[in-house]
Amino acid sequence: MRTARPPRILLASITLAAALLASIAAAVTFGPADIRFDEVWASIGSHLGLGATPLSPLRDGIVWELRLPRVLTAAAVGAGLAISGAVMQAITRNPLADPYLLGLSSGASLGAVAVLVLGVSVLLPAAAFLGALVALAATLLIAGSGSALTPSRMILAGIAVSSLGAALTSFVIFWTATGDSYREIISWLLGSLAGARWPAVAIAVAAVVVIGIPLMIGGRVLDAFAFGDTSAAALGVSVARTRWVMLVGTALLTGGMVSVSGSIGFVGLILPHAVRLIVGAQHRALLPLAALSGAIFLIWCDTAARALFDPRELPVGIVTAVIGAPVFVLLLMRSRRFA
Amino acid sequence: MMNAARTRIPLPRRIRPLTALAAAGLLALTGCSTTSTGAENSAAPVDAVIDNCGTEVDTEAAAPERIVTIKSTSTELLIALGLADRVIGSAFQDGPVPEEWATAAADIPVISDFAPSQEAVLELEPDFVFAGWESMLTAEAAGDRDSLAGLGIGTYVAPSACKEAGYQPGKLTFDEVFAQIAEAGRVFHAQKAAADLVAEQRSALEAIESDDRGLSALWYSSGTDTPYVGAGIGAPQMMMEHLGLTNVAADVDDTWSPLGWEAIIDADPDVIVLVDASWNTAASKIELLESNPATAALGAVQSARYLVVPFAAGEAGVRNVSATADLAQQLAAVDVE
Amino acid sequence: MIPDDERVDSMSAQQLSVVLGGRAVVDAVDADLRGGRLTAILGPNGAGKSSLIRVLAGIGRPASGALSWAGEDWFATSRRDRARVAALVEQDVNAELPLTVRMAVALGRTPHASFLAGPSRRDDEVIDAAMADAGVTGFAHRQISTLSGGERQRAHLARALAQEPRLLLLDEPTNHLDVLAQLTTLALVRDLATRNGLAVVAALHDLNLAVAFADHVVVLDAGRVRASGPPAEVLTPDLILRVWHVAATVLTHPVSGAPVITFDRPERTHP
Repeated sequence: MRTARPPRILLASITLAAALLASIAAAVTFGPADIRFDEVWASIGSHLGLGATPLSPLRDGIVWELRLPRVLTAAAVGAGLAISGAVMQAITRNPLADPYLLGLSSGASLGAVAVLVLGVSVLLPAAAFLGALVALAATLLIAGSGSALTPSRMILAGIAVSSLGAALTSFVIFWTATGDSYREIISWLLGSLAGARWPAVAIAVAAVVVIGIPLMIGGRVLDAFAFGDTSAAALGVSVARTRWVMLVGTALLTGGMVSVSGSIGFVGLILPHAVRLIVGAQHRALLPLAALSGAIFLIWCDTAARALFDPRELPVGIVTAVIGAPVFVLLLMRSRRFA
Repeated sequence: MMNAARTRIPLPRRIRPLTALAAAGLLALTGCSTTSTGAENSAAPVDAVIDNCGTEVDTEAAAPERIVTIKSTSTELLIALGLADRVIGSAFQDGPVPEEWATAAADIPVISDFAPSQEAVLELEPDFVFAGWESMLTAEAAGDRDSLAGLGIGTYVAPSACKEAGYQPGKLTFDEVFAQIAEAGRVFHAQKAAADLVAEQRSALEAIESDDRGLSALWYSSGTDTPYVGAGIGAPQMMMEHLGLTNVAADVDDTWSPLGWEAIIDADPDVIVLVDASWNTAASKIELLESNPATAALGAVQSARYLVVPFAAGEAGVRNVSATADLAQQLAAVDVE
Repeated sequence: MIPDDERVDSMSAQQLSVVLGGRAVVDAVDADLRGGRLTAILGPNGAGKSSLIRVLAGIGRPASGALSWAGEDWFATSRRDRARVAALVEQDVNAELPLTVRMAVALGRTPHASFLAGPSRRDDEVIDAAMADAGVTGFAHRQISTLSGGERQRAHLARALAQEPRLLLLDEPTNHLDVLAQLTTLALVRDLATRNGLAVVAALHDLNLAVAFADHVVVLDAGRVRASGPPAEVLTPDLILRVWHVAATVLTHPVSGAPVITFDRPERTHP
């Protein structure tokens, strides 16, 4: 009575990977500017050394400097957030965990807002990243002080740090927002991929490859945490060390994501659950499939955000919630996995 | 005298000075307080009590003597009406006043660089608060209008800034701006000054030659990832139309609006109007446009076809006309091959 | 019983102490936990049974004393190697995330799994056998959260068996089980001990189960060993009174001749 799991996972991975490539190919053709499908791809091809572009320099710029980097960043960020969310849920043994749980999002926001207010927005990715790490360090210090680093302590410490970070961020906004600068800040806080250019692609993809992939591979050990720390230890897992490594990895990955896109909500929380409903909780399957699904999901949410209300744009964080919540409810209702 | 309703019959130009003289004479006779019979000869009757963004303002109440202004448009309007000495404090200014008013403005104490608290305002014992933004007259800022009224403090919001449906002006026009100046004249008992100002601005406006090259323009106010631009129904649109420029965001039914870069690049504006504010300078916007590979390819960026307008002049107020004139001069110097 | 000349590994504790919150919950315990037999750890609540079981499993270091397995220092081996030898069945634990029984049992292969490769054919065979032994094959694809307490306990036992342990530690394994399940579980683990040479150590509440199934008992009281040896010899009314503060009478089963412990109602101390 053996379940043929490996082939099924492989098949699902290949299918999703193909869907991802197709999504990238399709999403790049959507936008307020009316550019034909073949023209889009001819333009991209020309930048890769295949032939000349049929488009004027401006329209070529729209495809190569605006749409393509944005779609690629959406893919990387979606993947990264899904991986982070799944890992966070396993480490804290809490299904409501998301990548921003341990103060990461409010730390990044504080860093970003401070930089926006000081007018040095070129430093924004670095500041957001640093802010996330500082917040994580604070959370771990508080949680680990005087006692063992248990999931519940981490969550509580994370809530405290998040609240503080959010309060400080609000304070900075309130204190210094002049004219219409608050708009920029709110837009960042809601999460947006509108500023994604090639440097953002580099950061996001690097984060996913350098941190996300090792997390996915090492994430198998997360299965052992299913029944708690004692069981995990009894299965030969070094609980404390694994937790630290996973946490730092998630923090770095999330920090990288947040630095290019702000805190886009919902992806890291719901996508792991949606994938679990379909393939189960084993991380060997869950992590890669969640990554691929997250990428596809965010690509389409971002496409909707920028193309649906042409010529205006919505912050993508709104779209992820509006689309994702009903889909998740549907999955939940149709699934029999949750008794 | 002008009537505060939306539609009005403009008096022919040559009659206006006579009317103003008659009004002035009557004012002098009645000792600077308005009478309920009104003094103008224009056709429609005038309501003493006006509906200002949902709150009633009685123009026949005593003239405000101790006024607090919030936002540059309010301060500048009062200075332009010659009422600078009645302004006891200003808050949340958007930038320096034009030179002609600098001395008058210098004497006005600054309460706060940002939204003032109610206590800070009350401390000065004002009898009136004139706000350029509706959000300034809430409990979180200077105080909500009802409670201020309860303390005997009148309030007035620049009508173009009203957010509620029914109060927000449809498409803003210069006539509307002038009507608002006139209304302010009634509220602050400076009808003659208002009428003079309007006359002056009207003739200045007519002197502006609009550009006939059929150029398109972007009014870029702020924003990096997603620019915040002047859209279809506000002051930017009004000014650009007068300049003969087609706003690339004219179809967006809002005063200002976020607009995706892609739509802007697709529209390829001939000219870019940059709003200059101390917190977001025109120079920083130029740098952004040049460093972004997508926008760097725009003709307007490559040829540096930029027009600059100060922030305060971009909101509906007494500076719109002079800003438009200045922009017209800048535009004339721009070469579009 | 496995003959003595067959290689059977044993765990040996010498003056083992575990300190928690400043208190010695396990106090200078000597114990000989031999392979090939079922040893029951007995004692009233708070005697330190669970703490002893945990340190025997290699989770949490002792404050002092020595612990060895097959003659080697237990803590000198890596955590992973320890998990290949010893398996722990805890008191009821829950999974927060959805898991089928088979997936839960498959976790038992973790110490044996290689880093990158997936489950092997052998893994699947071991998992199937473990489920069969524990009697949970019928639930293989059900969500573990939907099982009853007893069924879940058996699933955890299957998980421990999937580790292919030489030392099987159980912390009050019969708590949620009905009578039949209690008897079959203990019969199973004893069988594993005698047939396969496992060293099985179970913390038990029920003295009669200990008498019926254990080859050797260790009686703990406030962290210290009060007595150890064959159950029939050790569990005298006198000892029971001193340790559990209950008066007991040991009867003889009319059919099997095995001892049966019955308890007298405690005297009412207040009217």
